[in-house]
Amino acid sequence: MQTDLRKKLIDAFNLSNGEFLSGQKLAEIAGCSRTAVWKHMEDLRHDGFVIEAVRKKGYRIVKVPGKVSGDEISLGLKTERLGRTIHYEESVESTQKIAHRLAAEGAPEGTLIVADEQTMGRGRLGRKWHSPKYTGIWTSLILRPDLPPAKAPQLTLIAAVAAVQAIEDVTELTSQIKWPNDILIGKKKVTGILTELQAESDRINAIIIGIGMNVNQRVTDFPPELFETATSLSIEKGEDTSRASLIQALLLRFENLYDIYLSQGFLPIKLLWESYAISIGQRIIARTLTGDYKGIAQGITDDGVLKLEEEDGNIRQIYSADILLEEE
Amino acid sequence: MLKVQEIRELIKLIDQSTIDEFSYEVEGVKVKMKKGANMQTVQAPVNTVSVETVQPAAVQTPAPVQTPAVAVAAPVQEQKKEEVKDTANLHKITSPMVGTFYQSPTPDADAYVKAGSKVKKDSIVCIVEAMKLFNEIEAEIDGEIVEVLVKDGQLVEYGQPLFLVKPE
Repeated sequence: MQTDLRKKLIDAFNLSNGEFLSGQKLAEIAGCSRTAVWKHMEDLRHDGFVIEAVRKKGYRIVKVPGKVSGDEISLGLKTERLGRTIHYEESVESTQKIAHRLAAEGAPEGTLIVADEQTMGRGRLGRKWHSPKYTGIWTSLILRPDLPPAKAPQLTLIAAVAAVQAIEDVTELTSQIKWPNDILIGKKKVTGILTELQAESDRINAIIIGIGMNVNQRVTDFPPELFETATSLSIEKGEDTSRASLIQALLLRFENLYDIYLSQGFLPIKLLWESYAISIGQRIIARTLTGDYKGIAQGITDDGVLKLEEEDGNIRQIYSADILLEEE
Repeated sequence: MLKVQEIRELIKLIDQSTIDEFSYEVEGVKVKMKKGANMQTVQAPVNTVSVETVQPAAVQTPAPVQTPAVAVAAPVQEQKKEEVKDTANLHKITSPMVGTFYQSPTPDADAYVKAGSKVKKDSIVCIVEAMKLFNEIEAEIDGEIVEVLVKDGQLVEYGQPLFLVKPE
């Protein structure tokens, strides 16, 4: 976890717009000694930040290390609430696990858990999520909306819209949503979202949104069984992308959508979601634990439930399924 | 042929009405519904319980299959009567949202609980999933699971009873 002092120093650099900040000024802002400032600058250098120090002028950050540490995400973050508390670890079993623990301990809304590697990343029904070191965004976000648990699934669709918008903001790549919240580029999965709830019967304590985004993997970074179904932003774009910039964009988009949702309800989100959806109007198969349903995806309900028109014209509501797109 | 959805709607309607008995015939398929006659004799506080028990039975028909109406209607009646007898002193764990009921964390794993399992307030008893949001449901009471009212993979409604628990 970032210390308060470190947060204040990073915020000071955020406000300085690349200008030099004197050691004296930084010490005043952070409420510490100039020696402590110097020590923090040394720590940041040790973490890979390139810091220019000029006599009589002070310090400025000229290059960030390309990690997803709290310091690097905070530097340039424009949100008010989301990502204002960051818990970074180099390697974890799963960011969801840590998020569950922190949420139970009372972590504030917007707390972000992020790691450079997950050794036991997981997806739906306990499936493994491949999350090798330094290549992707492996993160969990804690929200505490004042909503009944029945509304919580809508937040997973908000997450999907935020991911599509953030990918476009940073990479200019166009991606699409496969119900409910897989993000695809050219029918290959680039982002998966899995959400878990801590709730009592009538209120949400915490909602933990896990997002896995393939960013800088090469084709050879994927295990052979994923060649056909997974891709990364780097493979699609032909160049690497800063993961910290993507996280910043994701948090900013998410916060905007979340505020719209809390003030105006789900309808504006639904319209956005449908505009990015790949499966609407197409023949799909919904694979559930109790069987396959075939039909044409008609859209989603006001709650985000998938409407599937079956052969006989019956509209079936799908709450849980893997969606397979039928070949044209 | 009546669809399961339609039968479900009918049961709901009848349940909410003051009608005690109902029969309906279309294209050779007959549906007969009767509210438990002995329910009225049960004391007032328990009355609310008996109304709720109608729901699990109604929805227990596996939603996807277009089962002939008759086959569905019959078990509804029997089960209702049985439950009314037993559930008076039992606690119900209900679903906080519409979604798919999973008895275990992954398809290969053992069920969280089964009939006879002892549970604490914070024991996880199942998962309800909708739109890749996984809600681990806690028992919220100390006791023993008497009956699991739904099947793995089944769609459950908001407020639908999932387990009967004998409180300790």
